[in-house]
Amino acid sequence: MGDYVRRHARTHWSYPSILSSIQSTQDMKSFNINGTTLSISLFIDVTNSKELLESMQAGTLDPEVAFLNALLIPDIFPVLAAAHKSLVAKSRDSLTTRTLHSELVYNYSGSKHITESLKRCGISDSTTYILAARFDATPDEIKAIEKLISGKEIDLEELEGRANQSQILKHYKISAPELGISSLADAITCRIAARDAL
Amino acid sequence: MGTEADSRDSSLILLKQGAEARVFESSLVGRRSVVKERFSKKYRHPILDSKLTLKRLNAEARCMTKARRLGVHTPTLYAVDPVLHTLTFEYVDGPSVKDVLLEFGSVGVDKERLDNIASQIGDAIGKLHDGGLVHGDLTTSNMLLKNDNQLVLIDFGLSFTSTLPEDKAVDLYVLERALISMHSSSGGVMDQILAAYRKSSKQWSSTLNKLAQVRQRGRKRTMVG
Repeated sequence: MGDYVRRHARTHWSYPSILSSIQSTQDMKSFNINGTTLSISLFIDVTNSKELLESMQAGTLDPEVAFLNALLIPDIFPVLAAAHKSLVAKSRDSLTTRTLHSELVYNYSGSKHITESLKRCGISDSTTYILAARFDATPDEIKAIEKLISGKEIDLEELEGRANQSQILKHYKISAPELGISSLADAITCRIAARDAL
Repeated sequence: MGTEADSRDSSLILLKQGAEARVFESSLVGRRSVVKERFSKKYRHPILDSKLTLKRLNAEARCMTKARRLGVHTPTLYAVDPVLHTLTFEYVDGPSVKDVLLEFGSVGVDKERLDNIASQIGDAIGKLHDGGLVHGDLTTSNMLLKNDNQLVLIDFGLSFTSTLPEDKAVDLYVLERALISMHSSSGGVMDQILAAYRKSSKQWSSTLNKLAQVRQRGRKRTMVG
């Protein structure tokens, strides 16, 4: 169980919806976002990103999964904030991209440029460090996802240590004064939340 | 579950009700949060009302995040909902500067703590103003002390961007009036705030000159001639 999950489980014991978010199916972690689960797993040393990218672009990926460039993810919270935003858009039939899963990648970028967002926050041929996420995954689908990716699954606690700070600062345009008062994760979360207000 | 109910957490506890918005405590994907909902004004034409509400909602989100980019602590923004007219942000745990100053009034002033608070206030306002951001509602209840000491500015509902010394001076003047009316026992705190402001803002001189003029005439400009 990741430190994030434990920490928030303790702080927010009074909220019933949070208790149900603490469940682990095999290695994949599941988070409850207002009644929808988001299952997340993290992989290093991935060797088949080219295949993954091709089947995703062809629309033949089964089950459908969101692949994120994990170098830009210092903490799981901004991913959950982006997922929340995607689910709200979905419930109103106002997705900007084609699917709920591509919407997650687009929202995580904090930018309005769809192609650029998917390129930078999604995966490329040569990506070896990937965060995979699926909404409302069944146990069978979780097994299928883990089979899909040729790599080593690691704990979400490793996100912080493996993130590429300079790439994050550049992508999200985080200035030195802001970094003085904010964590990387909070700075990213603000950009995800405020994007459409700009 | 209904589609609208899906977009926010079910547990909402009313914290405050103002003229423009209601503030609730809630949680968002596991974090304790605050939801600020701007409600509609029934006396306004519906189209005008929704346009104004949305414009102000977005402006508040922009100003809050701009303040952070300038190095001023504000709550982390978690979500903006243009349909429900809500902002969801971090729950900041700690008393307001107002509470602390009132406590000084009743149980005696902690000089060191007052110095520290005043200098944080002056420093934060200086950073906002140099970045071209005017808070618009600088009162001691819109300043929180996270974990009892870190100053966090809240309520950017009246904020706007401006580089005019006039706007910045009025910003400071509003705070000065609030301090005089609420916290006369913490006398001299405005002087300490302005001293910190001078250190923090590169453009202090033109702003403070303007402040002297604003004091003569009050917040509103005379529009004669």
